Amino acid sequence: MKRRDFLKYIGVGGAGVVLGGVFGKISRPPGAKLIPYLIPPEDIIPGVGAWYSSLCTQCPAGCGTVVKVMDGRAKKVEGNPLHPVNKGKLCARGQAGLQALYNPDRIKAPMKRKGTRGNGKPGEFEEISWERALKILSANIKDLSDKGEAEGVYLRTNTVRGHLDKLFGGFMESLGSPNYSQYELYDYRSLRFANKAAFAIDAIPHYDIANASMVLSFGADFNSTWISPVNYGYAYGEMRQGSGVRGRLVHVEPRMSLTGANADEWVPIRPGTEGIFALSIAYAILDAGLYSGKDVAKWKTALAGFSPSATARTTDVAAARTLKLAKEFAAAERPLAIGGEVVAGYDNGVSSLLAVNILNYLGGGTGAKGGIIPNPDELFFADGTQEMDFERGIAGFVKDAASSKVKVLMLHNTNPLFTTSPKLGLELALKKVPFICAMTSFMDETSAMADLILPLHTSFEEWGDDFTNPAVGAPVATLMQPVVSPVFNTRGAGDIFVALASAIGGKVAEDHHWMSYAEYLRAAWNDLYDKNAEISRGTLTFDGFWNKLLQEGGWWKKAVNPSGVKALSTTPKKVGKGLFAKPAKFAGKMSDYPLYLMLYPQAGHLDGRGANLPWLQELPDPITTVVWGSWVEINPVTAKQLGFKEGDKVRIESPYGSIKAFVFPYAGIRPDTVALPIGQGHKLYGRYAKGRGVNPIEIIPAVADKDSGAMALNCTRVKVEHSGGSGRLVKIEPTAKEHGKPTQHGRPIVQTITSREYKRLKKETT
Amino acid sequence: MSGVIDKIKERLKDFRRPGYYKEFDHHYAIVIDVDRCNGCEACVVSCYAENNLPVVGEQGCEDNRVFNWLRIERYIEGEYPDVKVKFIPVMCQQCDAAPCEIGCPVYATYHNQDGLNVQVYNRCVGTFTCATYCPYDVRRFNWFSYKWDKPLDEQLNPDVTVREMGVMEKCTFCIQRIRGVNDKAKDGKRKVKDGEIQTACAQSCPTGAITFGDLMDPESKVSKLAASKRGYKLFENLETKPSVIYLKRVMD
Repeated sequence: MKRRDFLKYIGVGGAGVVLGGVFGKISRPPGAKLIPYLIPPEDIIPGVGAWYSSLCTQCPAGCGTVVKVMDGRAKKVEGNPLHPVNKGKLCARGQAGLQALYNPDRIKAPMKRKGTRGNGKPGEFEEISWERALKILSANIKDLSDKGEAEGVYLRTNTVRGHLDKLFGGFMESLGSPNYSQYELYDYRSLRFANKAAFAIDAIPHYDIANASMVLSFGADFNSTWISPVNYGYAYGEMRQGSGVRGRLVHVEPRMSLTGANADEWVPIRPGTEGIFALSIAYAILDAGLYSGKDVAKWKTALAGFSPSATARTTDVAAARTLKLAKEFAAAERPLAIGGEVVAGYDNGVSSLLAVNILNYLGGGTGAKGGIIPNPDELFFADGTQEMDFERGIAGFVKDAASSKVKVLMLHNTNPLFTTSPKLGLELALKKVPFICAMTSFMDETSAMADLILPLHTSFEEWGDDFTNPAVGAPVATLMQPVVSPVFNTRGAGDIFVALASAIGGKVAEDHHWMSYAEYLRAAWNDLYDKNAEISRGTLTFDGFWNKLLQEGGWWKKAVNPSGVKALSTTPKKVGKGLFAKPAKFAGKMSDYPLYLMLYPQAGHLDGRGANLPWLQELPDPITTVVWGSWVEINPVTAKQLGFKEGDKVRIESPYGSIKAFVFPYAGIRPDTVALPIGQGHKLYGRYAKGRGVNPIEIIPAVADKDSGAMALNCTRVKVEHSGGSGRLVKIEPTAKEHGKPTQHGRPIVQTITSREYKRLKKETT
Repeated sequence: MSGVIDKIKERLKDFRRPGYYKEFDHHYAIVIDVDRCNGCEACVVSCYAENNLPVVGEQGCEDNRVFNWLRIERYIEGEYPDVKVKFIPVMCQQCDAAPCEIGCPVYATYHNQDGLNVQVYNRCVGTFTCATYCPYDVRRFNWFSYKWDKPLDEQLNPDVTVREMGVMEKCTFCIQRIRGVNDKAKDGKRKVKDGEIQTACAQSCPTGAITFGDLMDPESKVSKLAASKRGYKLFENLETKPSVIYLKRVMD
């Protein structure tokens, strides 16, 4: 025997001993670890970076990435230039994904509870082996399934699309449990309902902002967090300075968000009346004879009550301004109205968003270019996708748990305790569940309630794929590949479920007979390849196709001659009635609680998931420049009346509770409204997030939209008073620190030209 | 001793002459279209990742010790409801006649042949002169040797030095990327194509507001954009001759 062979056998034997047992075999096929010692991998050259395409999972937008790997470490994430969603660009959150991978607070090994639930203290959990962890979980599930009570198994996950979703769904189905559901704080469910009601599209379409000549945004902060911010950020740049005429942006929102700040015109509307305002613009369009459809008479009768002068008092927008906007909208070559999460945040969200859709219909915002482009119904691989349904997923879970229906709860990367109102009673419900297993990378508020913690790979260490939804008018599938070897003793969710299936046995094991999730994924794509001539076009073998997938980061199609939406699936009568019957309701009497409360996702933290990444904590908020903390935005006039100055600690009290935050006087918010960012206020979630700022969701009622059942965040009024207390407001704003005011002090730093001058210049150059 | 300094001065005399690099091949510049910029700050995090910028924490931010080589300045002007919020990304302007270079007693900051204002960390003794002279407030000083909580340090970019206490630093226009691409082109015996070099900020900018390129190449995208009638430079009246050209925002 040669020396080299001897070493090989020793290696195999050693690996066999170490990785023995069912679970070991599944996670690492024999030999996978051995080869690198003998032949150096071709892609590891010291000091030279290799780029791998993958998928960003920092938010559900589904951007394609390329990751620079040097000496086996991920160094930089960039957008995948070939990817149709983000076109080579990547936002702050996506860039910071690296700090999730190398985060010091990641859960480093499987853990089992020792102490009582939910206090999150160190020592509450003890580390155990993967074998033991999976045995505990599989025994719990097997117990139930043997007794025929498999429907007591619940699975709750964040947005998961593609084959992991299929695996989750298939696993639960084989098990015989219908209780698989996804949850996301910003689920755009109300928008989907409004699209269904208006155009019979039960999905989020692609909004072609890039080619629009006028965008009328109703609280859609597409520059910062709405749906697919990188895609829409790119579109914004193109709309402004692309090849066509410079598009105009008008933003309607009680608070001037980042998109409002970029708009040419900001309409500070009274909270909850956005839908009424949309219809009054529609009325003005009809009244001026700028709509010439056959159903014009019907619309006129239906919208009779929405004349700008009649609604001016409700919406707090002068009739003349509404008229001017209506004329501008109807006259624009390619107008587009979009309704966002601020509007969806009231309990009449669906009717208001429907009104925005109607404005598009009457004003001409439904064209193929610069309008609403429906995504293909059949993304042909997207079947089996779980619907985001708050009513079923979380509210339903609370009810089921109360009646002791939930026996085993599996959580995957989701933290609903942080993102739902305490009034919903989720914490109590979780306490009633006999066994909770959390699959997560970080110890967050919800995971601390678990009995068993299975630490997950991050997107840099795992196989996966994503069928982007909403896509960009044409199907997009992105592949995720492991670019570095696991940093800690973690596993992918797919591998955990494959291993679970084989341990549970019976039908579940038969239906999920793969060795690993990677094998399943490849087999599933092979299936797609065989069945769809469109996918296999241009490649000879599946191996070639698979390599192309890995190289380019996925498979997508160009939108060929996209068409806009034309047909309307609602009647004028219904539209008008909807909003009159359902004015937005706010908790708290006006006399006791004089100010509207508006919550919005902080640009860096989204729904709080970015708060554990130091880069995002130190990233100043775009509007306030606050870092490492929370604030409350109050109009300077209101602040003066109440006797507040910048940095004062105040108590914000709603009928449901109170929190303390620091005052940031902001001229870009209505005097009758205060706004707080979501994202901070974690009780757990690692050293960078823990105990920092406040979570405003703690003081909102558990209200859902009347039609869609989606959570409504902006449904309460508050009062604000001095509280005193420790802490401070830290801003990164040298000029204001020195001079007290956030202005340019007469210096020509941001120079501007008027649109008239701009047009003149453009004429001169062409 | 004075003889040595005189020798260095003689050697570096050429480097003091504004525009001397025009006799060489490149003048790297960035054009920022403020009308495209939406203030999303993707560029800021991109810069942190590429250039090993340390996180200083809440106290550090309070003390103005934050390491943002690139920042989005935002200004809020006017009273409700006529409020204007304006954004502008500001990084080292790589001035042709840089005030910081005049100040440095040890030649730690000088102009290289690519039109870049470079900082030699090994030479820097931390007199803070350059930061005081800089009208753009882009220089950042290492008050401490900053630490990365393990294993966050595994992300550190090996192409960029991790700076130590007492050293001044600033935006380099991602000089490691410029060098990397130029070397690759040299190996391939070809010229660098326009757009081949991208700074981290330009690469990630979703709106396409930031464009990097070579002003010596009249066909490059930056050259064309720089000729725009909307173009202006920051504090032009100071005669610092910046290499960052801004395009005015259209705003009524």
